[in-house]
Amino acid sequence: MQTLGFAYAMLPALRRLYPDGSELTSRINLHLEYFNTQPYLASFILGAAVRLEEERASGRNRDADVRGMKAALMAALGALGDSFFWGALKPFAAAAAVAVFLAGLWWAPLVFLVIYNVWHVGLRVWLLFLGYESGGDAVSLVAEFNFMKLARNLKILALSLLGGILGMLPFWRAEFRLPVPAVGPVAIAVGGLAVTFGMVALLRAGGTPAKLMLGLAAVCVILTFLGAA
Amino acid sequence: MAILDSKTLFDIILVALAGGLIGLDKTAAGQFMISQPIVAGPLTGWMLGDAATGLIIGIVLELIWVMDVPIGTFVPADSTLAAVWATAVAVLGSGGKAQLPAIGFCILLTVALVPITMWVETYIRKWNSRLAAAAEPAPGEHAGRRLSRAHLSGIAVFFVKSFVLYLVLLPLGLIAVHLFSGLPAGFQGAMSLFVKLLPLLGIASAMRRLSIRTTDGFLLIGFVTAAAIGLALRANFLLVMLVAATATWVGVKYREGRSQEHKDA
Repeated sequence: MQTLGFAYAMLPALRRLYPDGSELTSRINLHLEYFNTQPYLASFILGAAVRLEEERASGRNRDADVRGMKAALMAALGALGDSFFWGALKPFAAAAAVAVFLAGLWWAPLVFLVIYNVWHVGLRVWLLFLGYESGGDAVSLVAEFNFMKLARNLKILALSLLGGILGMLPFWRAEFRLPVPAVGPVAIAVGGLAVTFGMVALLRAGGTPAKLMLGLAAVCVILTFLGAA
Repeated sequence: MAILDSKTLFDIILVALAGGLIGLDKTAAGQFMISQPIVAGPLTGWMLGDAATGLIIGIVLELIWVMDVPIGTFVPADSTLAAVWATAVAVLGSGGKAQLPAIGFCILLTVALVPITMWVETYIRKWNSRLAAAAEPAPGEHAGRRLSRAHLSGIAVFFVKSFVLYLVLLPLGLIAVHLFSGLPAGFQGAMSLFVKLLPLLGIASAMRRLSIRTTDGFLLIGFVTAAAIGLALRANFLLVMLVAATATWVGVKYREGRSQEHKDA
């Protein structure tokens, strides 16, 4: 799907650069070769591809290796982007939004969208221009933006927020308040942390979220029928 | 009450159309995260007159599936379809504002959707990958026309996939909720408890992927800070979160400083 998307995004530039039909066809075919990377960081490659196509079409650099540049960058940027956007920014935005929701506020989805898209849209536009200016120089990208460090820090903040959410378990909004009135708030928070660590252990032992959902439902049915809940 | 009256059928078609459009944001167009359960759930609920139910379902499913991401060729569970479907079934099956047991039951039913949606998604992606060959211009043909057609038809296929899945799965869900409402009261209570415990599973699911040995301490910093300030001082929830995040940031900076000193030495 990304192959088509990339070629489609290149189409307006290719049409302008290659008025000759046969050359345009051959360039479209080149951009229809396999392409897969992190979709947001594809902007960098897109900008670079337009720059190299421009140089090639104007005769400044007839040997500009667009194919080589795409092949070299897509795997590296894929790993970098996956780790930053999917592995760090998304869980951080989700943790912040969940905290807002559990505090009893309805605008949690907006918090999620704003936190995520300020980064996402901003970087997408900036990377397009950086890719064009640098001609696909990945070193300039890494020098301008330390994805690895930022991803690690966002992951840490997400973990901390999740810990904070667990610490505030006795004060979660009414729908999620646990029916254990005889126990104090500290015991509820510590109990929640212990149950969560237990679930993490089960997930690490090969469990999946779907299996754990089924198991949790079974436990809830048993507890209810035993009168423990 | 009939399970599928004309209003419900109209709502099913409406949800299928909206769900199909929301689903495009997942991979086919935009990726502005409107397709994430935390947004897709409330949007669906709002459309059907019960945004609160969508918000509860969306938050829970977001936490559970937040780290199930499309890295490389891996096809994750379709959390968008799960959120839209569960919200629509809960609201339509309750004939108004959904109660906690019905919400819990609908979230539980999404487990059954995971293998179905993963299989369909894989099949559609394989089918779409053939479109690149079909997009190559033929000699003498207007360059780019085939490419545009192939690209847009790829997007259309994603829409049709979701639309058809909703049309098939929503009535099945409504039948299941109808049967659930006839079960003994104990099951209703069990599903209420299930909803209350699900955020813990969601947090565990996110923690499992986020945590590595060197960062685990920060989870405890957040927990201890929140427990100390929130429980002892009964401070505002969001203020506590802000303090926990600030404490963590100080910890991160301290660690970076120590690491730099170590390098310099």
